[in-house]
Amino acid sequence: MRKVTFATGVTALICIFSFAAIAASAQAQTLRRVAGKPDLNGVWQVLNTAAWDIQDHSGGLGLPPGLGVVEGNEIPYQPWAVAKKAENFANRATADPTEHNCYLPGVPRATYMPFPFKVTQTAKDIAVSYEFTHTLRPIVMDGSPHPETPEENWMGISRGHWEGDTLVVDVKNFNDQTWFDRAGNFHSEKLHVVERYTMTDPDHILYEATIEDPKVFTRPWKMSMPLYRILDKNARLLDYECVFYLQEERYRNAPFSR
Amino acid sequence: MKVSIAIAALYVFGLMLGSAAAAQGRGQGAAQPATRAYTAATLADGQPEIPNGIWNRRGVGGLDNGALEAQDHRPPNPLDPTPANPFSVSAREDGLNNVDRGFLDQFSERVAKNQPEGQRRNPGRERRLMGIAEPGRILPWKPEADAARRAFLLKTNPAQGLKYIEMDARCAMPGLFFGNGPFQFLQTGKQLTILSEYQHFTRTINLDGRPHVSKNIKLFLGDSVGHWEGNTLIVDTTNFNGVTAYSREIPYLTDALHTAERFTLADANTIDYEIMVDDPNQFTRPWKVTGQYNRAADLPEILEYACAEGSQTLRNIFGDPPGK
Repeated sequence: MRKVTFATGVTALICIFSFAAIAASAQAQTLRRVAGKPDLNGVWQVLNTAAWDIQDHSGGLGLPPGLGVVEGNEIPYQPWAVAKKAENFANRATADPTEHNCYLPGVPRATYMPFPFKVTQTAKDIAVSYEFTHTLRPIVMDGSPHPETPEENWMGISRGHWEGDTLVVDVKNFNDQTWFDRAGNFHSEKLHVVERYTMTDPDHILYEATIEDPKVFTRPWKMSMPLYRILDKNARLLDYECVFYLQEERYRNAPFSR
Repeated sequence: MKVSIAIAALYVFGLMLGSAAAAQGRGQGAAQPATRAYTAATLADGQPEIPNGIWNRRGVGGLDNGALEAQDHRPPNPLDPTPANPFSVSAREDGLNNVDRGFLDQFSERVAKNQPEGQRRNPGRERRLMGIAEPGRILPWKPEADAARRAFLLKTNPAQGLKYIEMDARCAMPGLFFGNGPFQFLQTGKQLTILSEYQHFTRTINLDGRPHVSKNIKLFLGDSVGHWEGNTLIVDTTNFNGVTAYSREIPYLTDALHTAERFTLADANTIDYEIMVDDPNQFTRPWKVTGQYNRAADLPEILEYACAEGSQTLRNIFGDPPGK
């Protein structure tokens, strides 16, 4: 009687463990879906130093070292643009529009700022909300084309579609005011970014961005990096109100002259 | 046959409720509370579905509605906004009359340039037009809080310091009360996410039953949790940082603020809205203001509202910061 009970118990335990193992592997392979598409809802962030420099770079005071996110590491600048990038780099402490003035960071820089962002995905709509200076980027999924107006935007205008399980976002209608990083890598208003968001498992997205700008580069080039889901309990965006903080600092003793 | 009559009767009843609501809306700029006539579609999890599209709000932004539900009308407050009142900040067309016209014209041109006709509205212009509340209506102020407010307002024109400039003019996060859209509602089950074109902010309302964040977390939009009761989403918000404002005339709020909002799906194009304000630092009792979200058929999408990126407002008001 005793033996039988023991054997039953062991069998039950084995069953439980096997079931748990199967469930875990199934979870790893099966993505949650929204209307048949991978569910990107959640809070995400990069774990790299691309915000400081998208290329390979050594460390320095206030500069975390990092392996770059540019495929092949080289950015194919036109000759004039090499000089412009060097000038930007030299003046970066006051010339970086995002770090120095809290301006909207542009695309793809918004993705790899050292702040989390939230993807909101329904059956019809997708929007990305970034904690840094509460940047918002709706991604229109209805198949409509980009506006034909010469309208220029800090964050561009985004049109998305699915290619299999990959979200492809075509971004145009940029201005020439944003930088790719704090190192002064830049573009013109002819910038055209194609982003690809591919979930590799429920907690990771492979993010790729192809950069094209015939005024600045000799050929298209590409960045890629993983995005990590923030798994902390109660993960959520808080406020990083850069513009407000900056004003509180700069205008603390205002008025200055009147 | 009986069924048809019943349906027809319901339909007529619905029309009556609808026209009563419309009459009320015209008369007071206020929304009617929920009618039961509308059956919202539901999401997979059973939640009512907010119809897809772009929505504008009226009756709340800047408290421009004259629908403050204060019943005890005392004599007109000298600082309440009327065009004849020189202290009224609303008497200024744009709230920035210490800035030269040339700049404003440039600003308007800039805004217009970025907003091709027929493609999007002009939030900057709307901002200048709002903020006119009905004279004579006042809120249940604590006397000392009202006195402090009046003293504050007297330092706003010209501004005696940064804190006398509203968030709206600073291109910073304006809070729950400024701005009337366009908005977009995205429902993902455990959250309602509201996108705002104005100041490009995102508001998240958690619907999964979680408690508010700790008192140590202070937020411009507060921390919002909600649940549905029938067609009505009830949202409770705390953890405000006390930096934003209700309007130009009520130029700040405090971090004791607690709001309760009701979003009621009234029909496919209308959400009746009310927000109850409870701030014991400023008011003797809670008060509420009502409004309405209307679906905008002519707006295809939320566009970019870049404000801080082009603004010279603070520099024009205060001069150049040292070292700049």
